Amino acid sequence: MADLAQTPPRSLSRAIPLGAVPVWSGIALLLFLALPLIRTGRRFLPLDYMLHPLSLGAGLHWAPAVAAFAVIALYLRPAPRPAQARRRADMAAVILSLGFVGLWAALFSAGTPFGWGAMGASLALCIAAGSALSESNRVRGDAFTGAGILLTLLFVTLFITYPLVMVIRSAVWIEGVLTLDQFRATFSSSLFLFVDNRFTEVNEARMVAYWATAGGAVALAWGLWSSRAAALWRRAWMVPLWVGAGLIAGWAVGIMIWGRGALPSTLLVAVIVAPAATMLGFALALLGQRTNSRAVRGILGVASVLPFITPPFVIGFSMIFLLGRRGLLSHDILGISPFANPLYGAPGVILAQVLGLAPVAYLIIRGSLNSLNPALEEAAQTLGASRWRVFKDVTWPLVRPGIAASLLLASIESIADFGTPLVLGGDRNFLATEVFLALTGRYSQSEASVYGVVLLFLVVLVFIASRWMLGVKGFATVTGKPASGAFLALPRSLEWILLSLAGLWFAFILSLYGVIVYGSVVELWGINNTLTFRHYIEFWNTGWPVVWYTMKLSVASAIPAMMVGGLIAYLVTRHRFWGRSYLEFGSLLSFATPGTVMGLAYILAFNDGTLLMTSTSAIIVLALVFRNMPVAIRASMSGLAQIDRSLEEASATLKAGSGTTLVRVLSPLLLYPLLAGLIFAFVSAMTAVSQVIFLVSAGNNLATVMLLARVERGQLGVAAAMATVLIVMLLALIVLLLVASRYLDARNRGKGLSI
Amino acid sequence: MQPRLRHAIAVSALAISAATAAQAQDVVNVVCVVEEWCEALREPFFEETGIRMEFLNLRTNESLVRIRAEASNPTFDVFYGGTGDPHFVAAGEGVTEPYESPMMAELSEDMLNAVNGAYLPLYANPIAIVVNPAVLEEAGAPMPESWEDLTDPAFRGLIGMADPNSSGTAYTVIATLVQIFGEEEAFELLAGMHQNMATYTRSGSGSLQPTGQGELGVAIIFMSSALREREAGLPIEIIIPSEGTGYEISGISLVANGPNPEGARTFIDYALSAEAQDLGTQAGSWQIKANVNAAPAPGGPRLDEIAVIDYDFEHFGQPDVQTGLIARWTEEIFPVPR
Repeated sequence: MADLAQTPPRSLSRAIPLGAVPVWSGIALLLFLALPLIRTGRRFLPLDYMLHPLSLGAGLHWAPAVAAFAVIALYLRPAPRPAQARRRADMAAVILSLGFVGLWAALFSAGTPFGWGAMGASLALCIAAGSALSESNRVRGDAFTGAGILLTLLFVTLFITYPLVMVIRSAVWIEGVLTLDQFRATFSSSLFLFVDNRFTEVNEARMVAYWATAGGAVALAWGLWSSRAAALWRRAWMVPLWVGAGLIAGWAVGIMIWGRGALPSTLLVAVIVAPAATMLGFALALLGQRTNSRAVRGILGVASVLPFITPPFVIGFSMIFLLGRRGLLSHDILGISPFANPLYGAPGVILAQVLGLAPVAYLIIRGSLNSLNPALEEAAQTLGASRWRVFKDVTWPLVRPGIAASLLLASIESIADFGTPLVLGGDRNFLATEVFLALTGRYSQSEASVYGVVLLFLVVLVFIASRWMLGVKGFATVTGKPASGAFLALPRSLEWILLSLAGLWFAFILSLYGVIVYGSVVELWGINNTLTFRHYIEFWNTGWPVVWYTMKLSVASAIPAMMVGGLIAYLVTRHRFWGRSYLEFGSLLSFATPGTVMGLAYILAFNDGTLLMTSTSAIIVLALVFRNMPVAIRASMSGLAQIDRSLEEASATLKAGSGTTLVRVLSPLLLYPLLAGLIFAFVSAMTAVSQVIFLVSAGNNLATVMLLARVERGQLGVAAAMATVLIVMLLALIVLLLVASRYLDARNRGKGLSI
Repeated sequence: MQPRLRHAIAVSALAISAATAAQAQDVVNVVCVVEEWCEALREPFFEETGIRMEFLNLRTNESLVRIRAEASNPTFDVFYGGTGDPHFVAAGEGVTEPYESPMMAELSEDMLNAVNGAYLPLYANPIAIVVNPAVLEEAGAPMPESWEDLTDPAFRGLIGMADPNSSGTAYTVIATLVQIFGEEEAFELLAGMHQNMATYTRSGSGSLQPTGQGELGVAIIFMSSALREREAGLPIEIIIPSEGTGYEISGISLVANGPNPEGARTFIDYALSAEAQDLGTQAGSWQIKANVNAAPAPGGPRLDEIAVIDYDFEHFGQPDVQTGLIARWTEEIFPVPR
């Protein structure tokens, strides 16, 4: 492919070189000369030509212009032989990167915020350097590939890795000294972990020690037993590992039962929520796949979308209405005394999270159930296996990867959840809320960072543990060849149990949403139940401009999220290059990092100096882009896996560059994954709270942050009105898109363009 | 080539920072803690003086950190709002300087005396006991009149207060009790109140709304938000304890050696005027304003109408005093089962 692109006669025939390298160098030069290089304040607009490179005088900040000029000059001389061309490209890459480094060295040494000129020139230099790298065969692929690799590496480093490194730095680097003092102070604080309560009769510390010992003993016994067949002495070095892991697990269980503080609360809730949500999701998925009732399937479909379009703390907030001390159900109907209501604390948080995460589990498990070939079950039954046997030996192993994925996702989401504990946590504190309260209540960046590091560590631990314990391979049993047979129907009694479970669940969800709508039309919830549209009028006056602004920012973030996501997916699946696994890991990291930690990271990384971007809408858009990009990546990757490479090869043979191929051949085939990524990015931008709560500012408020502030300030009526409008709008949008995609699908089929 | 390169770097750094400093003189840069209030001041201030006011919204202690970090080359002129402690600290470190504003004649003498010239008072906000009478009646508890009353077992499970480990409001409560009763007796009182606590909230005013909704009977919070919510229709009553109560005094400070000291003084004078203080009330900040001519918030008292104690801001604002009291509370009160 590379040889094709460099056919000598073509480049010789041209007097003026028009390769990607000189062209993009020229663009860098133009951008550098046309725009102000720096800013004086936070604002990117209006352009201030007092800050043009010319008015800044001579200096190192001219490096990109010099580099670009030198590269253009270099390319004026023809390089007839491939070896010469490669050497020339190498030189160009070195010169361009020197220009890039020079510019940022000048900016960092002066400490002034970068401006349009610096940004535009740097991006163009990157593209030029990437093209040069591909020309010199350092990167296999054409100019587009080289530039794409360099740009995505730059983005992931700048907007994911660098901010997270700043969190770790801020936790250990305090007032210019490398120290673990903040870790020590936080770990010994009662907010983090509080075990030995001398006012109770039980000695908690001893109980925790018992649990830890028991854990260690169980792990040792299990280790010995499981390796009894192997030669034990060969695995002797693993004994301390088993015991260590057992001790830690036992200790964790111990503090969950006997301890208080953010760490045990977060662990306890996650340990209960993840299996509960997964089980509920599994039950619903089984029902959804095997029931004959279309109504049940429809209801499940709608209900499974609801959590995605609901701002995360709204379920908690309506649970106060329904189950709180003066709740409709708990107080008015069941008559539970307001002073004995157990909602606040772990029970409320667990319930709200299970409700919020069950649909996610449902979607994941439903996906893996659907990939099961019914013929297998039929075959097993024909061979005389009982229903239970079929489930245990055929169905279960095949859905296990889905269960594992759901457990993993649910525990990460539960650990990262910020809104629910804030609203329903009561006396209990949680790690994700502690990040927020340390920063906004106790004004300590280093303490917030320590909590952030602990959260990151937990999430990584969950990842590793899930890989290690549930590292089951996926089995593809659907081959694309027509599958015959039908799934085994559920036993009658089981179907009834599942149906009533689903009915209960749905009724509860429905009443939660109903309560929000009701709360939005009464004067003052629980006190004055006169019907009124006052809250909607107030919402229209004060809330709507913010919602409109949020929509604009969400669109502005969803499109780049889709494009960057699609590009990364393409590069990672179709090319081999240095830094490939780093790209994959980086995007996984941005997905797994709790939102509050990412928000904190952006504040730490972009609050001053050359990279100053806080209090602008730019930083909000960037945070949302890199937060929501991973889903576009995953969707596009699975889409790409189904597209045969021969299409791209054909396109390349016809002399299309990989950029053209990506846009004209692959993108139409990837329409659905890309569209899914786009919708997801838009919807999650609209409902995002935790990752943007630190980033909003006077003119840049976002709908959900405003909603949370109103819930906190107690303007429940307006908050309910705002939540209702948001949910209805997003639901309408999703339905509209579903209808549109059906229509498009039908039209494409008509043209014989089915994928 | 080498020396010239180094020279070039130095020159470019200079050039860039020179361009930064060359910004117009008719702008006042404000570090602002109360965002809505500053937003409300911007337009009227420009109309009155022709000076543009630009503000950056930071939280109280972040503001202090920022001003401190920029002490050698400040980019801000005024530090506006937030709790009093960082204003004290800033004045002590010399990163803000005293300013004898002509508006001081119009300011409350009590507040001026309490801050002792370290900064200019902006407003005062007392701690109050906020109750929901209907809930108290249902639970058979009397109306509390004093701090002592709150230890009455009749209030069991009815009281909400912030956790001092996560909120400054609760620290002000503890410091107030220590100043009224002395440390030992104050902690006995806190232990008694602990038995009646329904919840320790994470945020300072977190117990207000539950009290209004009838989830709690009593909330111990700063008064301003309770005034606002009472006006909005919550069925609550605001009680100043008979032993007296503590309060915070928010401030406005002139940053030392700021880029536009003249403009800064003009802005401070403007911000302390009755007109500007009224704008704060309209923007939702319902505290007791420092300017005695400012209109009190609807239903709100003046400072001399309520029994405030002689709060020692200097002593109880010291970080080690603060940490000590909070640590003692965390040791002796928080873990007691209730």
